[in-house]
Amino acid sequence: MISMAAARPVPAHVPPEMVGEFSLFTAPGMAPTPNGDPQAAAACVHAGPRIFYSPLNTRDGRGTWVITRAADQRRVLQDPETFSSHRSIFASALGETWPMIPLELDPPEHGVFRSLLNPLLSPRRVMALEPAVRERAAFLIDRIAAAGTSCDVMKAFAFPFAVNIFLRFLGLSDDRLEEFVGWATDLLHGDDRKRPAAARTIVAFIDDLAAERRRQPTEDFMSFLVQAKVHDRPLTDMEVRGVGVLLFIAGLDTVAAAIGFDLAYLARNLEDQRLLRREPQRIVLAAEELLRAYPTVQMIRVATKDIDFEGAPIRKGDYVSCATMIANRDPHEFDCPETIDLAREDNRHQAFAYGPHRCLGSHLARREIVIGLEEWLKRIPDFRIRQGTAPIAYGGHVFGIEDLILDWS
Amino acid sequence: MRIIVHREKCQGHARCWSMAPEIFALDDEGYIVPGDIDVAPEDEQRAWRGAKSCPERALDIEK
Repeated sequence: MISMAAARPVPAHVPPEMVGEFSLFTAPGMAPTPNGDPQAAAACVHAGPRIFYSPLNTRDGRGTWVITRAADQRRVLQDPETFSSHRSIFASALGETWPMIPLELDPPEHGVFRSLLNPLLSPRRVMALEPAVRERAAFLIDRIAAAGTSCDVMKAFAFPFAVNIFLRFLGLSDDRLEEFVGWATDLLHGDDRKRPAAARTIVAFIDDLAAERRRQPTEDFMSFLVQAKVHDRPLTDMEVRGVGVLLFIAGLDTVAAAIGFDLAYLARNLEDQRLLRREPQRIVLAAEELLRAYPTVQMIRVATKDIDFEGAPIRKGDYVSCATMIANRDPHEFDCPETIDLAREDNRHQAFAYGPHRCLGSHLARREIVIGLEEWLKRIPDFRIRQGTAPIAYGGHVFGIEDLILDWS
Repeated sequence: MRIIVHREKCQGHARCWSMAPEIFALDDEGYIVPGDIDVAPEDEQRAWRGAKSCPERALDIEK
């Protein structure tokens, strides 16, 4: 949670008229809200100025410039020289400074690690993983259907589905799935005590796993990592840790949240649900619109020099936020951005961000979402949110949804 | 129809490929293979969709 006492004062170089109230953490609709819609709530910024300063817009209480236009975000995200990724979000929870890799590196070093990892999650590689993904979805949904006519989607499907696939990719068994999810929850959503504790636990786990794979390599991801080379030399322990920790936490919340938001939408929009069930070939295109409508993260960059950006006097060291859910509802970019049109054709959304740091896991994520929806719609008839219940949606560091109870006849 | 491929803009989103995998070939890292693409008339609609889906605007359509 945000520590209000840690919020810093607005820097002197920010003109008072450029200070805005919106925050991904404290704006209306961002706190956990029954039947909430935090992505729609974030779109309110499009009624205001093109760029403004939000005094409290990161989890550790920092202010950031907020880039509202998709085209401006593209400019920022394609200019790593001016807008750097050098931060240590994870390590700082431990009072340390090593980077998550490749997330917190800039080119050219960024590219070296990205090239190493790209083939592991490339479209071609993901195609090879598909049968296992489909099998896992089918197993979970069959179990739900056999158990009755309702379920808690996040617990019964979204998390066990997304997290299992990712653990399998990493070469970890999923008998500790709930424990891992617990660590991620504490890390991403915990208080000032839980977060560092979770960070320490995850680091220890990754370090131990790396040591084990060095002793006895298998065919899995960590084995690949400890045997890999960059610049003709093996990765250092810190580099293995930096990649391992990032990959561990990257695959946990994000896809599960996307599936949750998507099923909540379909539960509330029966006509769309029925159309996709009748014509499953539409699901691929529909999934892109759902990615546009319900993305979950914001990119943060740090200015490396003073720059006037569309009238904003950005100074070296200022934080700049490129929030995916804000870009994805930019009226300069999308016709009727607030309308969710599952047949939308012109849809260059930025759910997976832009430029060199475009999400490494995007191909796997996309296929998991499509396959998850395909298998769900095959097996579960007309479903809705159970009467008397209300899913809780929230904004903040990583948007999410919980207590999503669906039922059907 | 011809698709002009600006390889230097490609960031590996693979949106083009997901629309038409046989028209937009990718390398092992998931980036588009360099070279412009000649499109057969029967493939034009899918090629158009693939090119229009590129978030980095790396694919231009030449009729």
